[in-house]
Amino acid sequence: MSIDFPSSVPRESVLRFILALADDELMLGHRDSEWTGYSPILEEDIAFSNIAQDELGHSLVWYALYEQLTRKTPDAMAFEREWNDFTCCRFVTYPKGDFAYTVVRQYLFDEGEQVMLTALGQSSVQQLREIAGKLVREETYHLLHSKSLVVRLGDATEESRRRMKAAVDDAFPQALGMFERLEDEDELVKSEVFPGNDVLKAQWLNRVVPVLTSAKLPPPVSHQNGSYAINVKGDDGGRKKSHTQHLKQLVDDLQLVYRIAPMAKW
Amino acid sequence: MMDTQWDTYEVFHQTKKGDPHMYVGSVHAPDPEMALQMARDQFARRLKCVSLWVVNSKNIASTDYQNEDFFAQVTDKSYRDPKAFEAPDKESPNEH
Repeated sequence: MSIDFPSSVPRESVLRFILALADDELMLGHRDSEWTGYSPILEEDIAFSNIAQDELGHSLVWYALYEQLTRKTPDAMAFEREWNDFTCCRFVTYPKGDFAYTVVRQYLFDEGEQVMLTALGQSSVQQLREIAGKLVREETYHLLHSKSLVVRLGDATEESRRRMKAAVDDAFPQALGMFERLEDEDELVKSEVFPGNDVLKAQWLNRVVPVLTSAKLPPPVSHQNGSYAINVKGDDGGRKKSHTQHLKQLVDDLQLVYRIAPMAKW
Repeated sequence: MMDTQWDTYEVFHQTKKGDPHMYVGSVHAPDPEMALQMARDQFARRLKCVSLWVVNSKNIASTDYQNEDFFAQVTDKSYRDPKAFEAPDKESPNEH
């Protein structure tokens, strides 16, 4: 059975949009999985392994939708593309760092996903509405976990505060890359596929700034006339396939086994 | 030096509403709210679960293994066991 969009929706733009969502989840899931066996405590080892599997599972949901529309399989999209052909934001591609960085990145990403999935609940594209409604249930618990850790570690000990502060300094500008303007942003907004990255970014700031501030980890923003002005430059480029060597390393790792025997059945 | 070691919480897991919560193990956590989250990841991902309890291990009073007298049975009390009765088979109540 083939599915397709109403003719009012810009098909190619939506395909690129879906792929970016899938790529984000794949890369973050891979980075989270790098904690398996190395987390500071057993409980977090298991929690981050769970989260990693969830994120990979979510990437599969998006790649599967992409497959329905293009007949390109999830394996092909994850394992056969060149590293500089992915359209994830740079934010999810950076090395896992220390546990503080991982926690802060996960938190900032989880809040980003909340606003994105909530917005997609109102999308003009039925498939996006359905998937968003399903994924948001699981993402709510990722957010609960990462937020709990941010709030506690931000103000626990001198060392935790120092590490969390450094993590926010690094991760906040990177996180802004989640909301990089898309090439076909205007078409997607006009056809009500999603409300646009500026809208999502404002919603995201309304969520993360109070939490980080209460955790004594104030991000580089100032409050003006009821909204936030950002005082740093966002780490854009990923959506245009402009990546750093960190993604090359990640993709080399991710695709190593597949590329040894591309036709193997697992 | 400040103690940064987390407390342990004992975890109780319920499979179905109305069933007893069964003890399944323990987790480390800084507070009850996080303990519930840890317990969810540790014990409720694969098993079907409708409810979890966590209790700080410090709040559990327990007997001492050394104090065997606490459980001692010094006289024959077998007459107290209801073993002369036949319990109906729960699986097929209509046969009795």
